[in-house]
Amino acid sequence: MRKVRSIEVEQLEKIFQVKKKQAGLAGSLKSLIKPHYTGKAAVEGITFSVDQGETVAFLGPNGAGKSTTIKMLTGILHPTSGKAEVLGCCPWTERSKLAYRIGSVFGQKSQLWYHLPPLDTFELMSRIYELRREDYKKRRDNLIERFELGPYLHTPVRKLSLGERMRCEIAASLIHRPQALFLDEPTIGLDAVVKQRIRELILEMNREEGTTIFLTSHDAGDVEKLCDRAIVINHGGLVFDGRVDFMKQQFLTHKTVQLLLEDDPGHMALEGVEVLSRDGSRLTLSVDTGLTTIESVLSALMASHRIVDMTVQDPPMEDIITRMYGTFRAKEAVM
Amino acid sequence: MLMADDKLHKGHAGISEHDQPGKLKRLLRFTAASWRLNLAGAMEFRFSFLLTVGSMIVNNIVWIIFWGMYFKRFPVLNGWTLQDVMMMWAAASGGFGIMSVFFGNATRLANLIATGQLDVYLAQPKPVLLNVLISRMSVSAIGDLLFAIFIFVGFGDVSPVGIVKFTAALLISGMIFIFFCVIAGCLSFWLGNTDGLSFQLFNALLVFATYPTAIFKGFGRLVLFTVIPAGFISSMPVSFIRELDLPFLYGALGMTALLCAGGILLFYRGLRRYTSGNMMGLRR
Repeated sequence: MRKVRSIEVEQLEKIFQVKKKQAGLAGSLKSLIKPHYTGKAAVEGITFSVDQGETVAFLGPNGAGKSTTIKMLTGILHPTSGKAEVLGCCPWTERSKLAYRIGSVFGQKSQLWYHLPPLDTFELMSRIYELRREDYKKRRDNLIERFELGPYLHTPVRKLSLGERMRCEIAASLIHRPQALFLDEPTIGLDAVVKQRIRELILEMNREEGTTIFLTSHDAGDVEKLCDRAIVINHGGLVFDGRVDFMKQQFLTHKTVQLLLEDDPGHMALEGVEVLSRDGSRLTLSVDTGLTTIESVLSALMASHRIVDMTVQDPPMEDIITRMYGTFRAKEAVM
Repeated sequence: MLMADDKLHKGHAGISEHDQPGKLKRLLRFTAASWRLNLAGAMEFRFSFLLTVGSMIVNNIVWIIFWGMYFKRFPVLNGWTLQDVMMMWAAASGGFGIMSVFFGNATRLANLIATGQLDVYLAQPKPVLLNVLISRMSVSAIGDLLFAIFIFVGFGDVSPVGIVKFTAALLISGMIFIFFCVIAGCLSFWLGNTDGLSFQLFNALLVFATYPTAIFKGFGRLVLFTVIPAGFISSMPVSFIRELDLPFLYGALGMTALLCAGGILLFYRGLRRYTSGNMMGLRR
């Protein structure tokens, strides 16, 4: 079956003009008389494509250019150069046409009316997206049921918890049945249970309606539970594009080894091994697989101790992302 | 190579009728829905709502008392009577009221641009400028609008012709206010945060629109009919409502059209320079 391209990006670039100012009042006065601008590349010639129905995590440390890219793909920002097509439309020249077919959730910018109940915002959304009344009512009721919004429908948004508000936010962005959903930090500030529920709901829409999901997040759980593919950018450039499993392998430089020994091993100094925790004869080690192998660590231990129990695990996604961003920073420090 | 796969994308069963005839009707429905929600939002705090509207009416009445006292001592001011001054107030506060009630974000545009708060509107498939402008309602300005109507009923010509003339004056005044503020707000696209400057320009328009044009001569008068077009609002009572001065009417209509076209053009040109931002935002 032929795959339909949902997003296609070619050499997309965005340079912001940033005013450089020295600190203090004197700096401000100098800047007022003779302002000095420098070009800061937020996105530097990235190229990638996403098929319809894919779930893609768009990752990178703060300031990497994630939000800028999403804003260009949703027609909010005009790029400095490059091309992009989303659902066959150029986002910045066919913004309105495209907006009928995509949904967007900006975790930090709400489209709900703060003093009014979510139901009122849904009604306005139906007018914004020009939905047929009967279709709108069916869709609204379906989303209310799925997102379990019944109890909050008539409560002003200002009185909802962050989790309740975010569920309403995502439901509002799905009201017109978009083909692609762009989410910028959708789970920011939410507790673990609410995060999980929101991930399930997004995934459900992806599976049942084939909605393309393109999200940025700093939450490892969002990436692991929600996305098949990851695109990683740093300083505006693409540094990884592949399956989430492959990303794990590429940036997986450590393994976690949990050991239960027969006796307390005392001081332990092995190359490439860091003791993460110890409780008598129970140890948790982090093994740097670039410096040593699990086999040699275990051999060294077995030479002097008897192993009662042992598990070898990949570190959680959180650690992989932390290490990945750490690697970027270390490379920058060297350059 | 980029591939426009429009046919394949259109296969998706959308529930929007945006590509069907009746676009204008649906745009009006959206506008009405937005106004309805603004009003509903304002009325969420009933007591504050009534107090704000009421205090704005009282505020305007103070000015009426002042002018009443003035005209008791000097019945005519450069050809202007008390009735003219009252109708000038009606035109100015009515125009301001129309802008602030129905297009309440006009005076906040500079701030919205500079702080990157246009994102939500840009992500929606509606004309951005209209969507931004109608997304807020100033509660106190309802008082200004009601005040204009009370003044008209008390001092104006409440005949069918009088009502038509007054309505036209209000609409012209409203349009001048809206698009002058849009132009002033759009400066933010080029100059950074012009919140203060835009407010000063709006304030100048508002202040000069509430003084009889007859007291200004020479360069001052030229400014009031060009750079700060308050003269087209403040002259309404004598040059349009009392007697129909055709050159004035053409001038007012021309200025309104110019401001509309200029405002829309500047806004959409400016959008290309919009840089967004990371400020957190909620719609109020």
